[in-house]
Amino acid sequence: MSDKFDVVVIGSGPAGYVAAIKAAQLGLNTACVEQWMDDKGVVKLGGTCLNVGCIPSKALLDSSHKYVEARDYFKGHGITVSKPEIDVPAMIKRKDKIVGQLTGGIAGLFKHNGVTPIQGRGKVLAGAKVEVTNAKGEVSVLEAGNVIIAAGSVPVAIPPAPVDGEFIVDSTGALEFTEVPKRLGVIGAGVIGLELGSVWGRLGAEVVVLEALEDFLPMMDVQIAKETAKILKKQGLDIRLGTRVTKAEVKKKEVEVSYSTAEGEFTETFDKLIVAVGRRPRSEELLASDSGVSLDERGFIYVDDYCATEAPHVYAVGDVVRGPMLAHKGSEEGVMVAERIAGKPVQMNYDCIPSVIYTHPEVAAVGKTEQELKADGIAYKTGVFPFVASGRALAADDADGMVKMLADAETDRILGCHIVGPSAADLVQQVVIAMEFGSSAEDLALTVFGHPTLSEAVHEAALAVDGHAIHIANRKKRK
Amino acid sequence: EPLLGPAARQLVEEHKLDPAQITGTGKGGRVTKEDVLNHLKAAPKA
Repeated sequence: MSDKFDVVVIGSGPAGYVAAIKAAQLGLNTACVEQWMDDKGVVKLGGTCLNVGCIPSKALLDSSHKYVEARDYFKGHGITVSKPEIDVPAMIKRKDKIVGQLTGGIAGLFKHNGVTPIQGRGKVLAGAKVEVTNAKGEVSVLEAGNVIIAAGSVPVAIPPAPVDGEFIVDSTGALEFTEVPKRLGVIGAGVIGLELGSVWGRLGAEVVVLEALEDFLPMMDVQIAKETAKILKKQGLDIRLGTRVTKAEVKKKEVEVSYSTAEGEFTETFDKLIVAVGRRPRSEELLASDSGVSLDERGFIYVDDYCATEAPHVYAVGDVVRGPMLAHKGSEEGVMVAERIAGKPVQMNYDCIPSVIYTHPEVAAVGKTEQELKADGIAYKTGVFPFVASGRALAADDADGMVKMLADAETDRILGCHIVGPSAADLVQQVVIAMEFGSSAEDLALTVFGHPTLSEAVHEAALAVDGHAIHIANRKKRK
Repeated sequence: EPLLGPAARQLVEEHKLDPAQITGTGKGGRVTKEDVLNHLKAAPKA
């Protein structure tokens, strides 16, 4: 194995593997260092997203949603089934198969593009060199023309509730339960907590979500967050805001959780407890003291707008740097860095990154929220369209939620779009594209949308911005 | 400040152009990728 490369990528998650493939496509001799291995000692590519994040959680969300449909919705369509039962190990096995397929797919893509995968833990040394320590403890040094750090993130641990992997678990453990817990506690009402709480709640767990913050989904548009809370409550998620967990103890195969609220001190007992309060950059033991790369006060690797660190020829992308911890954000940063190494001045538009919560209905957003526009003192117009007025949504028996479009009052330029509803993730993408092209709300209003489609809700919300929606009563605009 | 789509933005960056100097033929005066290419053809680099 050559130990001299044009590019060495540390980490094979969505940021790292995409950067490696892109660099190889641009004619650079590229290696990708990854510490994870399977039980056969083969390097496990794909990072958090593929192995213990996006993909497995979506697999379980889809399985559990089908179960709910069969249990609660088939009857309305005139379909009679005997009481559906869930075989949890089979559901988990299906998820594992999908993960295996996709991680194997990346190995295939590496082979096809000529990327060299290297098992081991990478450390950045001075002079853009990378030290690799493999599973056997053998240490080697790779000469790299350029280094791309894509080390990712890990779940945040909290002292009151130490993860034991059995009764108190993090997101990884919550994807591996062998049966449905009767009572499930979730600490954290963020994206991860809501998705995992939904999975087990749908399968019959009594779910209590304990959130320290007073506000629900504070990064989302307030109106959409409120609607989402209403819908999730209706589904049986018991979300308790302003609750601070002070202690979690395993007693007789149960978890006793103590928490405090404005009202006082309380305890709840659960069969399992998921800790999902957030994620932090995986930046420890990653940099030699003289690497020239520095961390910011929160442990993120310090980079400029183009993901360049302070050390020449060393870049960092994905969860280990500032910005939203999203797979697609990391991937695009990986592409940008590979292109820039190859001499092309590619830049990234951080204003148009969609975010999604894969509950049912989905919650998705791009651009500014209404509260952000208010805070920035920007005059804006709002267009809202509820799915209950969508023929396609009603036909699907899936009409919760709404599309909300925000446009500049002066220029009509779309500033944000916020959706809770069926296929929100795919609908918001249409607006991401429109925004990339500097679209006004009127541009979308003048575009032909197929009928009947869920996409028409985006069309109607754009029309509603100027009070021209057809299928809802428009609010009177002051002249 | 004319509006540019992603491909037009990229070209403007690459050739260090001033978007205000480019005639936009797109919807609402938008500068399209084609507009930037035509602008480059009309004004070859010195």
